[in-house]
Amino acid sequence: MAIDGLIILDNVGRPIVQTSFHSTSPAYPLIHIDTYNNALAKVSRPDDVDPVLYVSGINDDKPSACCHVGCGGLRILAPISGDVDPLFAFAYLRTFIDILREYLGHVSASTLRDNFDVVYQLLEETLDSGGHPLTTSPNALREIVIPPSLLNKLLSVAGANISSLSAASSNPFASPIPWRKANVRHNNNEIYFDVVEELRAVVNRSGVSLSNEVLGKIDTNSRLSGTPDLLLTFSNPKVLTDCSFHPCVRLPRWSRDKALSFVPPDGPFILMEYRFSPSSSNSSSLGVNQVPVPVMLKPSVVINENGGTIDLTAISRLSTRAIEDFTVELYLGQGAGAPNFMVSGGGSWAFDPRTLVLRWEMANLPPSSSHSLRGSWTSSIPNPRAARAFRVRFAIQQHTFSALKIDQLRLTGEAYKPYKGVRGRSLVDLEWRW
Amino acid sequence: MSTQAGQDAKFFQRGKIQEFRAELQAAEVKDKKFVKRRTVLKKIVANITMGNDMSPLFPDVVQCLGTPLLEIKKMVYLFLVSYGKSKPDQIHMVIPRFLEDCNDRNPLIRALAIRTMSYIPIPVVTEALTEQLRHCLKDRDPYVRKTAAICVAKVYTADPRKAEKAGFVEMLRDLLLDPNATVVSNAVAALTEIGDRPDGVFFKLNLSIANKLLAAIGESSEWGQIYILDSLLRFVPERHADAELLAERVLIQLSHANSAVVLTAIKILLYLMNYMENRKLIDHICKKMGPPLVTLLSSGPEVQYVALRNILLIIQRRPAVLRNDVKVFFCKYNDPIYVKLAKLEIMYRLAREENAKEVLAELQEYASEVDVDFVRKAVRSIGRLAIKVDPAADLCIKALLDLIETNVTYVVQEAVIVIKDIFRRYPGRYEGIIPTLCEHLDALDEPEAKAAMIWIVGQYADRMDNADELMDDLVYTFLEEPVEVQLALLTASVKLFIYRSKSEKAKELVHRVLKWATEEVDNPDLRDRGFMYWRLLAINPTVAGEIVLAEKPAITTDSDRMDRGALDQLLLHTGTLGSIYHKNPETFIRNAAGRALTDTPALNANSRAVLVPLTRNQLPPTVSIPGPGPNEPRARKAEPPLPAKPAPPLPTNGADDADAGGEDGENDEEGILSPPVAAQGDSAADPYAGLDQLGGLGGSGYSADNPRPKGEEEDLLF
Repeated sequence: MAIDGLIILDNVGRPIVQTSFHSTSPAYPLIHIDTYNNALAKVSRPDDVDPVLYVSGINDDKPSACCHVGCGGLRILAPISGDVDPLFAFAYLRTFIDILREYLGHVSASTLRDNFDVVYQLLEETLDSGGHPLTTSPNALREIVIPPSLLNKLLSVAGANISSLSAASSNPFASPIPWRKANVRHNNNEIYFDVVEELRAVVNRSGVSLSNEVLGKIDTNSRLSGTPDLLLTFSNPKVLTDCSFHPCVRLPRWSRDKALSFVPPDGPFILMEYRFSPSSSNSSSLGVNQVPVPVMLKPSVVINENGGTIDLTAISRLSTRAIEDFTVELYLGQGAGAPNFMVSGGGSWAFDPRTLVLRWEMANLPPSSSHSLRGSWTSSIPNPRAARAFRVRFAIQQHTFSALKIDQLRLTGEAYKPYKGVRGRSLVDLEWRW
Repeated sequence: MSTQAGQDAKFFQRGKIQEFRAELQAAEVKDKKFVKRRTVLKKIVANITMGNDMSPLFPDVVQCLGTPLLEIKKMVYLFLVSYGKSKPDQIHMVIPRFLEDCNDRNPLIRALAIRTMSYIPIPVVTEALTEQLRHCLKDRDPYVRKTAAICVAKVYTADPRKAEKAGFVEMLRDLLLDPNATVVSNAVAALTEIGDRPDGVFFKLNLSIANKLLAAIGESSEWGQIYILDSLLRFVPERHADAELLAERVLIQLSHANSAVVLTAIKILLYLMNYMENRKLIDHICKKMGPPLVTLLSSGPEVQYVALRNILLIIQRRPAVLRNDVKVFFCKYNDPIYVKLAKLEIMYRLAREENAKEVLAELQEYASEVDVDFVRKAVRSIGRLAIKVDPAADLCIKALLDLIETNVTYVVQEAVIVIKDIFRRYPGRYEGIIPTLCEHLDALDEPEAKAAMIWIVGQYADRMDNADELMDDLVYTFLEEPVEVQLALLTASVKLFIYRSKSEKAKELVHRVLKWATEEVDNPDLRDRGFMYWRLLAINPTVAGEIVLAEKPAITTDSDRMDRGALDQLLLHTGTLGSIYHKNPETFIRNAAGRALTDTPALNANSRAVLVPLTRNQLPPTVSIPGPGPNEPRARKAEPPLPAKPAPPLPTNGADDADAGGEDGENDEEGILSPPVAAQGDSAADPYAGLDQLGGLGGSGYSADNPRPKGEEEDLLF
């Protein structure tokens, strides 16, 4: 159960940073890079490369596998050999990317090159050479690897005593709680909960949802001093099903009375993720009870010898709230060109000649409003095979499908009274077939 | 953070060794706050990362280790990690520094020192480390202890006997009871690593330790949880109650946010269920496993892929899981192709009479998508659905005919291939559509499709008035066709002749084909078959007819399920490469330890009936440690003796044991008694593999387990 190392490739498949791979031959990382690049050359869309590539060994070497994920134009490979859990590799990669984001802000080839020493320290601290993930909790990592911005600040302070640098980590892991650093101090004690829900659905041409699910998560930002022990209760916990929690949540307590008891990490984290099913009594068979889709689309697409026409109407079904950041996308098929469309009711359309995707955007759809997109395109290939579904995405502020309500937040272990904030937001990602 | 862009990039400029050396020497004097030294070291490290050999600087860099600054120490250690191994003659210079750091006041430096030493498998270093490790395993700081635990595994790799002699394994065992959860989980990780080595000591848990580990799980990091959960596979329940109790405690981990934790927990539950008797509890656990698996499908495509491949195995063993959730597996337009293909296979597995209509509607939708590969699989799945679910067959045939009407060549070809199988599954039900198929004869240019069509023409020549004309056209290009098609043509013309032995045309045709097959063709299979038919016809045409047109065994879908015993074994590898490729890892990874259920009084009868022992004795021998300390490192007082591994019988494949009653009926979806099929042998699992001999049919590439384009074995990849 171990990851052999980690290789970060730039957008043309060249390695930028990699771990030292001491326990393997020097060729080992190279074959993995080759295998990935070869696989990439074979597919038409970069996303279609199998995520677990089989890598046959050279000569007598044992075979291995290459797990990889993309991140901002980069590709991160994690070679694994032996019967290792690929999910283990993916979970580590995901965590490492999150850590990079936190340290570097934006992850790209140039930020990595600029901060290679930090990236190396992070690699060393998060993954040992035997492939065991070590410290990955951001709170604990900050104590041993100083984020670049802070380091610079310390250096720029004129005459700063350098020994303070090592002092920054003189007592690491003093905290008895692995995810929270010790002795946190904030002037204002505050904690914010963002309840974000996403409706994902596939709708057929007659407007009926084929599959329909709402996934929610509670994004939390904790800025509380000391070791606060929190108890969060909901007034309607029944709407939450299939929950998964941050490691800080005491699971037995949740299974007993559906209350979240936890000592939060400092800073932003995801407290829990869940699925909302309108009737929890019948959770096993999805689709018996569905969340109504907040828009109505009336598509009419005709494909002919030399292109096609689209007549698409979108109607907001919400009576009080506005729909924001509304986008519709449709892949028009190979050889598509000369798009000519008109929109009514605001918004704009665009066609990307590289990806061949038509995109219709509107910043705001007022309640119960109706908008349309009409027009045609031509194709150099007769009867082009366009995508069979529109991809529709939008957001609704101050709204959750589950109407999840936080009842109260109790704090024990500390004397102060924290400021609490709760916000709701919904995202929708639809596939509407025509 | 972006303000400092470009700041460090200059370090990547190619530097000369001499230059660096001079700079380092210059830095030895008047280096206030070690700024100079740090800058040079940074340049050196940058060069290492570019692959430039910096090893000549070894003596110079090592000098810097005395600098009382963590950042510099880290860079020197990074240098040592890269080049220490290749400098056995100079490494002795560093050892005093190592020892100094091992006793530093700062726990971070202590840990850093032993970690770096463990990366350098040179005897002097290992020697020094062995000495230090003893203290570090008992360090008062948990960070040092947890690092030391992992270092033990490294020392063990470098010199197993020495590590055993030093008593490290016992010390690791003691760490299992450490108050700090991270230390516990790292000790588990180290013991697992040692236990997985072919020459390592046997790592096995008893009930009380298993329970203690589970208690530590709540405070472990997610990685620690994975190690701990995984180690539970090393606990062999002796009583049903033990398995049940443990399962209930593992169950709670299903609501963890980390997908790997969830899948590992599922693996343990699947394992423990083999040792349970309480049907209610088993059903309860099955019900609980479904939602977390579905939740995995809302993650990124990579995680989805791993999850889907595992779900495919799980639903074959425990069909109650996800029984009603076929909709979850409907493909999204933007799913990557590998996710779509994996979903398609699961949709087929979950299809039943109740949901056949929905599934078919989806498949029809996919059949008009853009991606050719996916469209083909979708069409094929429609055919397989018809074969699997009798009441839906009519609808499926209608769907296939609609697809044929589209005239898209690859759709037509796939449709013809599956229709051939439908004919065999439901003799006498759909032959009416043959004329429609014949209209599209010209569109067929792929060997498999062509062979399928030829089989249809030959098989039903008695119902087609123009069969001889069609055959005459088809054999026209006989000599240019691939073997697959030639074989089909040969058999079809023999059939035609048997149906119409009076017809001069048929006689002439079969004669022509036999002559070609035996005289003009180099392929021995084709030639032999030609001779066989020829003699058969020459000696006794009536008997020939009986043989060639003998009733074919009906096609069923039972055989595309895996053998239960093999499935049980594969499920012990849930989440690992083995489960992605659907192969036992010892068959494709050298030195991988095979896993098999251990027979104990608690093993439930159904699992025992299909028990497949390890085919090779790969379990590490129990090592007795000379010197002080208990002999059996993992033996605790209450522990039962190590279960004697069932003496590995001669390599047998599942088929032998499976006839003991592979079906326990408890979960099996259809309850049909399927003929036991060995899953290990791919060809044996291929329900159509036998067709060559029986029907003289070319197309054997139709492996029901892999709805992929013909002939590709890449499902198993190896």
